[in-house]
Amino acid sequence: MRLNRDRVIIIGGGIQGCAAAYFLARRGQDVTLIEKDHIARHASGVNAGGVRRLGRDLVEIPLSLASMDIWQSLESDIGVHADAFHPCFYVKVALDEAGQKLGLDRIDSLRKAGFQHECWLDDADIRKRLPHLSCRTRGGILVEGDGWAVPWRIVQGFAAAAARHGASLIEGCRVLNLEFDKECWQVTTSQGLFEAGQVVNCAGAWAADLARQAGEPVMPLSAHAPMLAVTERRRPILPAVMGVLGHTLSLKQLDTGQFVIGGGVRARADMQANRGEVAIPELAASMRLATTLFADIASAPIIRCWSGIEGYMPDNLPVIGRGSKPGLVHGFGFSAHGFQLGPGVGEALADLVMGQQPRISLEPFRPDRFEADT
Amino acid sequence: MKQGSYHDLVIIGAGPAGLAAAIEASAGGLTTLVLDDQPAPGGQVYRQIVQNANSRSARGYLGADYWSGHELADAFARSLAELRSECRVWQIGKDRDVFFSQHGKAQKVRAGAVLIATGAMERAMPIAGWTLPGVMSVGAAQTMLKSSGSGADGAVFAGSGPLFYLTVWQYLQAGLTVRAVIDTAPARLGLRHYWLALPALLQPGLLLKGVRWRREIRRKTRYISGARSVGIVGDSRATGIRFRDARGGELTIAAEHIFIHQGVVPNVNLTMATELDHRWCPRQLCWHPRTDIFGQSSVAGVFVAGDGMGIAGAGAAVLSGRLAARRILAGKNGRSSGVPLFWRLLKFRQTAIRPFLDTLFTPPQEWRTPEDDTTIVCRCEALTKADVMAAIAMGVSGPNQLKGYCRAGMGRCQGRMCSLSVQNLIHDHTGVPEDRIGHLRIRPPIRPLTVGELAALVDEDASE
Repeated sequence: MRLNRDRVIIIGGGIQGCAAAYFLARRGQDVTLIEKDHIARHASGVNAGGVRRLGRDLVEIPLSLASMDIWQSLESDIGVHADAFHPCFYVKVALDEAGQKLGLDRIDSLRKAGFQHECWLDDADIRKRLPHLSCRTRGGILVEGDGWAVPWRIVQGFAAAAARHGASLIEGCRVLNLEFDKECWQVTTSQGLFEAGQVVNCAGAWAADLARQAGEPVMPLSAHAPMLAVTERRRPILPAVMGVLGHTLSLKQLDTGQFVIGGGVRARADMQANRGEVAIPELAASMRLATTLFADIASAPIIRCWSGIEGYMPDNLPVIGRGSKPGLVHGFGFSAHGFQLGPGVGEALADLVMGQQPRISLEPFRPDRFEADT
Repeated sequence: MKQGSYHDLVIIGAGPAGLAAAIEASAGGLTTLVLDDQPAPGGQVYRQIVQNANSRSARGYLGADYWSGHELADAFARSLAELRSECRVWQIGKDRDVFFSQHGKAQKVRAGAVLIATGAMERAMPIAGWTLPGVMSVGAAQTMLKSSGSGADGAVFAGSGPLFYLTVWQYLQAGLTVRAVIDTAPARLGLRHYWLALPALLQPGLLLKGVRWRREIRRKTRYISGARSVGIVGDSRATGIRFRDARGGELTIAAEHIFIHQGVVPNVNLTMATELDHRWCPRQLCWHPRTDIFGQSSVAGVFVAGDGMGIAGAGAAVLSGRLAARRILAGKNGRSSGVPLFWRLLKFRQTAIRPFLDTLFTPPQEWRTPEDDTTIVCRCEALTKADVMAAIAMGVSGPNQLKGYCRAGMGRCQGRMCSLSVQNLIHDHTGVPEDRIGHLRIRPPIRPLTVGELAALVDEDASE
């Protein structure tokens, strides 16, 4: 067993953990990443793969934009795995008056905050870009250059790049206990004891439990399993990722021609069995919306539905920042929209570990922001 | 969502096990609904039995075993159980909500108990050329005969197993010519086979029937036993079949229609998707749901009967259906479901021939995973053995991670065709025992359900 106080241990092999491992290893840090299952096993491997700046909470936009910079230069970071990212455009249309108001108000508040990346299109412009659309819209919001990616491949890419820079990745290794002792962290795992000067908690839906072991105040994290469905292959009709204002639908067509439909509909997460449930009927409303947008989709057979376990915070904003214990950094609670943020969060976590100032403010994501409530 | 109708017992599948259970349960006073995906009851074994009863010619060639199903179909027709045909069950939800699609619309019924009686399916046979047009499974060839009274003249049959010999026999009875029968079972019985044949003497009728079929096949066709290294020849469609005979000689027989078979395995997609516990059966080389003798699974209120529990044949399926119904009835009425020892003995007698058959007709390794790198393993995604092996070599943790690496099992069949081969390939590469490698995780819907069908569930709400 190697004992090393200069070591950084990252717990969790999802996109946040793997990206953090990559940025730390690239900067010459001694990094060990511990994953209880295998890399990208949970939400990071099975999410909808939306790479989306569109529609983000105002306080999250700087982080999302910073992350997009990394997405755009992904190939120099993770090599061949970068071809899993397919930039296109991302559009959320309004189907009723409420949706239209929501969209126009949003554009207004974005402009006031000084952001230009989202723009409003009227129905004619939207139908020009999406000629196969079956319904009229009341306009919509569009972001150029957002898109979709094959999530597990991006995560694998970061993991492989981290390993190339010398990080150790240990899969099938469950953390049994985490405590600060004798000036360093003692991480007791199913594969023995590890010591490290710093620990990064990227354990997703399991992160609050780790924080508790580490002696942190209680984190109001809950776990759910968002669901997705994929259809058989169809002729290409949708060159964008799509949503509907006021609804949680996410709709895209992969390069295989398959539609991926879902977003927002959650099933129960069985944390003990380590698996998410699937309740297909709950997806019916999303299916309804998808067929409203494109009548062609109605005849496509659904060949598989799945879910992935993910952690949610009460304000739907992640927890990114230093914990109350020395050498403990948190990055979890991404509340169903952490995939696009992953590369940016990885970089920010690396900054925190190295005592540097991240390039964007992490103030809105402070781990202690709920403490007054509890 | 709309509350569907309620039944004490919902049975999925109208084969021998499902029909027997429905007769027993409805006679005992349970409101019983049978959901079946075929247009008429009978399952695979007694397919189209009601319709074929009027066909004089079918009476001649389908054989006495097939017609014995008539009694069951009649008793079911007289029972109070309700049948809904052409229903594709795509998920069993929590609290025994059963979701299905019928005539383009998704629906739900609620059940006090659910009995999964979805039977068996033919083992996938990834030999060279198996996906070429002109190649069909023997089961499909038999279905053709039962449902339309037609078959292909001049076909070659290759493989082994009870269904194999029965179907060749039925083709011959129907007056079709069979160009050759290429038998992959061992040409001579070993000591082990004779030993296992002892309990099989408890079912002498079955043994004799098998002997009779084989004798007749030998007499009427070109019969080659002990065939090895079987592969289909042809570029865009099958033109023939090549193999080595028992003496090692290379042979090629020209044929446009080639029917292949290596036994059947439980159709576990619904039991897997319902997350019942399963165990690996080393004798049958497939997964069985874990149940007690009454078919009670690891999930409360969910039962399994028939070949879906493990391959045992139609007679045992009827018994297991009755047993499950008795247990469900007893549970409802607070009575005992009978003496387990008595049922155990009866079941032992009903399945006494299986160790002999399973051992004699064990699929050869070359039929479980391809010998040749260019042979397709996953049909839906057109992945060859080399594609799958390349992904396995990347160090996958099992079939579920493999899906991500190479898409094996990600197509419309949901791994029905490739999961056992993929599992075996991983076993070959890593040496990890097959039971520990596990099955692909089956995700609902287990039957294709269109986006529009599912969207219709919302319409139903709106109309309330």
